[in-house]
Amino acid sequence: MTNEQTNETLLEVDAISLSFGGVHALVDVSFDIRKGEVRSIIGPNGAGKSSMLNVINGFYHPQEGTITYQGQARKRMRPHDAAAGGIARTFQNIALFKGMSTLDNIMTGRNTHMSKSLFWQALRIGPAQREEIEHREFVEHVIDFLEIQSIRKTPVGRLPYGLQKRVELGRALAAEPSLLLLDEPMAGMNLEEKEDMSRFILETNDEFGTTIALIEHDMGVVMDISDRVVVLDYGRKIAEGTPEEVRTNQSVIDAYLGVSHD
Amino acid sequence: MAFDIFLLEVILSGLMTGVMYALVALGFVLIFKASGIFNFAQGVMALFAALALYDFLAEDGWFFAVFGFTLPVWLAIPATIVVMIVLAWVIERTVLRFLVKQNEIILFMATIGLAFVLEGLGDLLFGSDVKPLDIGIPQGASDWLLDSFNLYIEQLEIFAAGTAAVLVAILAIFFQRTRIGRALRAVADDHQAALSVGVSLDKIWVIVWSVSGIVALVAGIMWGSKSGVQFSLSLIALKALPVLILGGFTSVPGAIVGGLIIGVGEKLAEVYIGPIVGGAIENWFAYMLALVFLLFRPQGLFGERIIERV
Amino acid sequence: MFYRESGQLKSSYVADQAMFPIAQDRWFVFGVLALAFLVAPFFINEYWANAILLPFLVYALAALGLNILTGYCGQVSLGTGAFMAVGAYASFKLVGFFPEVNFLIVLALSGVVTAAVGMIFGLPSLRIKGFYLAVATLAAQFFLIWVFNKVGWFYDYNLTGMITVRPIDFFGVRITGPEATPAAKYLFTLTVVCILALSAKNIVRGRIGREWMAIRDMDIAAELIGIRPLRAKLSAFAVSSFYIGVAGALYFSIYLGAVEPVEAFDINQSFYVLFIIIIGGLGSVLGVFLGSAFIVLIPILLKNIMVGGMGFDSGMAGHVEILLMGMLIIFFLIVEPHGLARLWQIAKEKLRLWPFPH
Ligand SMILES: Nc1ncnc2c1ncn2[C@@H]1O[C@H](COP(=O)(O)OP(=O)(O)O)[C@@H](O)[C@H]1O
Ligand SMILES: [Mg+2]
Repeated sequence: MTNEQTNETLLEVDAISLSFGGVHALVDVSFDIRKGEVRSIIGPNGAGKSSMLNVINGFYHPQEGTITYQGQARKRMRPHDAAAGGIARTFQNIALFKGMSTLDNIMTGRNTHMSKSLFWQALRIGPAQREEIEHREFVEHVIDFLEIQSIRKTPVGRLPYGLQKRVELGRALAAEPSLLLLDEPMAGMNLEEKEDMSRFILETNDEFGTTIALIEHDMGVVMDISDRVVVLDYGRKIAEGTPEEVRTNQSVIDAYLGVSHD
Repeated sequence: MAFDIFLLEVILSGLMTGVMYALVALGFVLIFKASGIFNFAQGVMALFAALALYDFLAEDGWFFAVFGFTLPVWLAIPATIVVMIVLAWVIERTVLRFLVKQNEIILFMATIGLAFVLEGLGDLLFGSDVKPLDIGIPQGASDWLLDSFNLYIEQLEIFAAGTAAVLVAILAIFFQRTRIGRALRAVADDHQAALSVGVSLDKIWVIVWSVSGIVALVAGIMWGSKSGVQFSLSLIALKALPVLILGGFTSVPGAIVGGLIIGVGEKLAEVYIGPIVGGAIENWFAYMLALVFLLFRPQGLFGERIIERV
Repeated sequence: MFYRESGQLKSSYVADQAMFPIAQDRWFVFGVLALAFLVAPFFINEYWANAILLPFLVYALAALGLNILTGYCGQVSLGTGAFMAVGAYASFKLVGFFPEVNFLIVLALSGVVTAAVGMIFGLPSLRIKGFYLAVATLAAQFFLIWVFNKVGWFYDYNLTGMITVRPIDFFGVRITGPEATPAAKYLFTLTVVCILALSAKNIVRGRIGREWMAIRDMDIAAELIGIRPLRAKLSAFAVSSFYIGVAGALYFSIYLGAVEPVEAFDINQSFYVLFIIIIGGLGSVLGVFLGSAFIVLIPILLKNIMVGGMGFDSGMAGHVEILLMGMLIIFFLIVEPHGLARLWQIAKEKLRLWPFPH
């Protein structure tokens, strides 16, 4: 929970509906994310949480509704536009570039900041060389921040699960995002790994003022680190508010007592 | 009137070629559905099957050299089927099981390797010369059609179309009615489900490769009877690829319809566009058609559109 | 590990990002280059040039092109033969139009023409993947060869349908046709291949190379972190085709001297080059050289052993070659998809630890 948060809205989700054939993944969902906050999205499996993130960064195109990001309303956006606009993310199922090293994965996250042409890159002198060095320096900071110096040159496919999740966070951080979307970053982790990851998320939010949208199942973690929570069930928003408010909300309790439906 | 007859003949002969393509495409689809493997070697399997069949039938084959007699057709075909089943088993044992978890591109390239192995093996065992395959399928024009409708159609082609229809019917029954067939369909949807039916994955692979080996044999017999057993057969079989693009990789009806469209399309193109641009466009027409098609309907005529998830 | 602490000097990143960070590697490469440039030209003869060194270099270059597309960007192509043909015919026509222009420029332009054609056939790659794309490239393979065979303009309406290289001088030295010495052909080709290999190595280590690999490893994630799939794929097609086009131009102008499209550039060429990258190592620049050497030498070896040593006929040796290639492909894909390049690396690591295995 940070002090830097303001009441300025960074992202507003307005009446979003999304369906796949007959499956209604999201139904008329609205909420907002304020600059500098940690906003958690929770709900049972299949509630539509991942779909929501996919809508926010332009991977899914909702049938209804608009997204307003940094004051700009849009109906449809392509993922690379979202990325260029400062939205970065991690994935529920690790989506690292398996054949590349940790360093290269994180460098790739920085690609949107790089621009030197093919010609200079083929020569790799002058501008291209300088650019590479400059961004390498930034990436080294990310590597230091996440304490993964020792696996810099390791192909990520060979890393244990917990570290892969961390590298994925690094790849997202390398983009210096204004909005960071984290899809179950602690799923499948042991307690120690979860603590590390929570710390990284909080520090990211604290030190760089990055706004974070977080999907997480571990209620302890959610209660600890989020400023506000939105709850989805069957694609609908059933509650929203501070962690405390949400925890005591009757419909949330009901939703979690019911069986999960994926 | 004369023109119409000509057009009809072109279309019919295209349909017949299309049946041949469809037969090869069918083998592809079976394997792809059950294992997600795009079997580039399907065409060479047809060649290999035809070579094996020839060997049982001819006096210059190994079988004759070893046993001193040749097999009659009704025995040679089951014997070849056994060869194809053994082949499927060997492929599963030596290649597939080691590549289970690989990505599809690696698998695809492995089947290109497989195509070369089978070709090399076929050449080494049976020689690379053209072999006439005669299993008693009637040859020449159908007199009845010629007399009654003034239509020139090869009997062989009619026979091939009939055989293909029967084959598809048998396959449909196999998939719908038998326990193994149902397991195969399950595996296409979900590997876990197949395991719960109680059939192991490697067994399923052997079966499915055997079945498509048998389909390859049928294709090999038809092509071989038409133009002799020769290497070009495996190149012609490459045409099954555009067929699959049109039909979708997982659809049996798609393979048939796609085959017919390509067969007719390229015949029409050859006859009507060919002379304008210098001929021989049959070589590439199918691929270009598929390419254009891909741009507009990448999932094929019968494939479902899949929205990827993360 | 090179770095344990944070806050290092800039210069250390430069060193870390050098092409051959390890001194032994650097010396080894310098040694090979010295041998290739300074020693080999004195010993080369017709046989060595035509049977081994020229095909080795030309195929290595074509394979480098294909490896950019397939090994780095993950897009399969079966159209390499046809793209080589585009380069060959482009160089033939360009030399015809501008006989005075330096041949290096002709080569570069041939590459550019091929890149353009490659991008057209790469367009479907936005919507289709994997083996679907292979079909698109097959369309290129059959269509382009047909064009070169049918359209007289491409072969200057020559009655044989063949194209024959014109005599070309490079700074006063004849490099094409029967009058050129093997050493001149070899040195020219070697220079071009080295420059392009160096550039390729640079590209694949930079931003664009990472984009390609990202698309290869997980295209959706790549898109979601801001890589434009179409741009990445088309740039791979363009660069790949450029290399293959230059290789085709060298193949025709310097190595063969005269070609006829149907045979010289048929689909077997496409397979041949594909096999080089599988055996040499997908996604490796070193690999294309190892793979090319391997695939050029194997038939010669087989012929010497089977025909020369054991008295089989050469047809038999050809069949064994096909069989063997297929088996090797499967073997490498199963055992070591990173091919000879990876085996080489492992051997090197073993050597460095020798004689203490741990
Ligand atoms: N690409 C897709 N195609 C079809 N259905 C999808 C797709 N993505 C999500 N769904 C469906 O939408 C619903 C919500 O899924 P998801 O957003 O992944 O839920 P959560 O992340 O909350 O577990 C589920 O029923 C899921 O099956
Ligand atoms: Mg989810």
